Amino acid sequence: MATRSENEAAPASPALVQRRVLRVLGTDVTLLEQVRERAVADLQFDIEFESLDFLTCQHEAAVNPESYDVYEQCFHNLDIVWYWGALQPIDTQRITEWEKIGDLAKMGGISKYMWQGYGDAPVRKLYVQPDGMLGQQQMRHISMLPTAHNVDSFGYDSRIFGKVGPEGSSWSWLLDPRAKGRIALVDEPAIGIFDAALAAEATGDLTFEDIGNMTIDEIDQLMSLLDTLRQQGFFCGSWVNGDDAEALLHNERVSVQSMWAPCYGNLGPMEDVFVEAAPREGYRAWHGGASLARHLAGPKLDMAYEYLNWWLTGPPGALMARQGYYMTVPERVREYLTPQEWGYWYEGAPAGCDLNGPAGNVVVRKGARRSGGSYRERISRIALWNTVMDEYNYAARAWKRFIRSVEEGAV
Amino acid sequence: MIKRLSPVAQEPLYELITQVLRRNILEGHLPQGLVLLEGPISKLMKTSRVPVQAALRQLNEESLIQRFRGRGYLVGSDGDALVPLRRNIEEFALDIPEPLDTALKVRGTWMHVYDRVESEVAACQIFGEFRVVETELAEYLGVSRTVARDVLSRLNERGLVRKGAQSPWLAGPLTARIIREKFQLRGIVEPAALKLAADHIDPYQIELIRKDIASGETLHWETLEGALMQHCLEKAPNGVLVEIIRNNRLLLSSVDRALNALGLPPDTVALTQYRTLFDLIGSRQTDAAAEYLKEHLRIIALKSLARLKIVALVPETETTPPYLSRVG
Repeated sequence: MATRSENEAAPASPALVQRRVLRVLGTDVTLLEQVRERAVADLQFDIEFESLDFLTCQHEAAVNPESYDVYEQCFHNLDIVWYWGALQPIDTQRITEWEKIGDLAKMGGISKYMWQGYGDAPVRKLYVQPDGMLGQQQMRHISMLPTAHNVDSFGYDSRIFGKVGPEGSSWSWLLDPRAKGRIALVDEPAIGIFDAALAAEATGDLTFEDIGNMTIDEIDQLMSLLDTLRQQGFFCGSWVNGDDAEALLHNERVSVQSMWAPCYGNLGPMEDVFVEAAPREGYRAWHGGASLARHLAGPKLDMAYEYLNWWLTGPPGALMARQGYYMTVPERVREYLTPQEWGYWYEGAPAGCDLNGPAGNVVVRKGARRSGGSYRERISRIALWNTVMDEYNYAARAWKRFIRSVEEGAV
Repeated sequence: MIKRLSPVAQEPLYELITQVLRRNILEGHLPQGLVLLEGPISKLMKTSRVPVQAALRQLNEESLIQRFRGRGYLVGSDGDALVPLRRNIEEFALDIPEPLDTALKVRGTWMHVYDRVESEVAACQIFGEFRVVETELAEYLGVSRTVARDVLSRLNERGLVRKGAQSPWLAGPLTARIIREKFQLRGIVEPAALKLAADHIDPYQIELIRKDIASGETLHWETLEGALMQHCLEKAPNGVLVEIIRNNRLLLSSVDRALNALGLPPDTVALTQYRTLFDLIGSRQTDAAAEYLKEHLRIIALKSLARLKIVALVPETETTPPYLSRVG
């Protein structure tokens, strides 16, 4: 289909030849303007980014596969987009750096002895099996090229929770009476629900047999607990993207909330008191990547492969690092980071100087140390992954009703 | 109070159709050589094609009609001597005795209403738990409360609705657990039925399906599932088992239909698997076919679970008819 529209737009004379365009659909996790500019500079074609929130993005990707060429999202939403038939398998033989991609994505842990974590570990969705399913049996074709990833937790106000340090924190703080009325959750049923579940288990209110694949009863219990707390006025709001999360901070409305890494570089008035937790129960992890739209063929498919390969060249990984995200090819990334940047972001060393974010503003003060330590230390403590559970349809609808009540209460 | 239908009305629909056609052939209202096609007959009788197919098979066994080189059947049993007469059955004045006519009409309304409600009630369950309001249902369909109640009783028998504590009718929610359990049951009973049916399967029918598949024409999964049921599993000489299989499949196929209506693309791997399955059945490798069916069902189950996740993207207001009201 893409080729047909290209033909329709065929130039009348050579002088009007337009640069070829690759359309990328994704979220603000990877679709930074700096990434796009760098890619356009490195590649021989133009790139258009369409950045949407998680849910809108996956909906678009599933039902409107002709509207994009490359889809950049997280592994956990592949169950939806893949089985809608919107994507095509990626041939790893066309990925130059495939062998350099680390074991976290390919094997499930940073070593074969490592616990994979509950839920949608990327390896469980990576390889295209002969029956069309996604699984961890190694195959030549994959569903998504693993790129940016990170471990998430929550941020808290150290004036309320004390000076025990981030490693002394617990997910239970996310539902702690000390923060009553000043708690916010991320509104994404494959993410926020797990922050709440980890918290409910840490407080001792609930236990889950498999927190990465809850039963209907467990979901009912969790939602009922959350609703009780909501009625008692625990929650002040919810957010869907980093800007919203930062707004809650800048307006000094929250004492504890779900947080994504880039927000810690932009805490505003809370800079000296708001801390990224390294919860003793472990992190909630996520893994991003890039997939090929099903309709791609011929030269357009070649362009998409070029773009995918570009992700593993180093510069985009350096941009990701400056907002706190890791890349699957750290050694290539290291070549494009200063020693101070590499030391802070990947090795957990105190920052040797002020460090800038992707947009050029200072996001880390000299002397600061990354919460949770080095890449290895942080990645070794994954409790679970962002996940689209078997009962996702049920959970997502219950979650939506809960968030609606929270927002109505907040107004 | 459930309205009692006359004894004729309670006979299976295909039996009523068989009676009408048999009578008109024997009385000469339908001439020798007339081509009988499922479509026009089902239109005339206001039914689906399934009971018409069964009726034609029955008449064929009675040698009142016969197969020929074209589509459909010819009236008569004189072999090659018959010349196909292609005219619409509606052109002939059929003799339909009053009790049969009434029975067909009663069955007609009620079956027509039933199929529609069944698919709506099944489809809503992917969105959660719903109360089915009897009065609203009657009004929505333009039928009496008695008919609405009959419809609900039948849905209840088939496991699509249940009576709640305060006695409203409840449907759903369809959860991953239910899908998993229903497929687990399929994996147990369907291969068993296939083995029991082995000696009763008509090789000719399997040959026809294999030919259809081999022709390269993309067959709908529902056609293949239907063929497996009709020509293989239903042949098992155990009515209770067949009934369990039929009821267990109901919700699954209704939901699949709803998902396909949302625009999910066909699953080509599954289509290939049906081909292998019918090849095994056709070559009488019964044990292998049963094992293969089990594995096929295991894979379909996993895919169905993934498909259910997709439903989370679909807003429910677009699809819910007014007689269904959300619980909670």
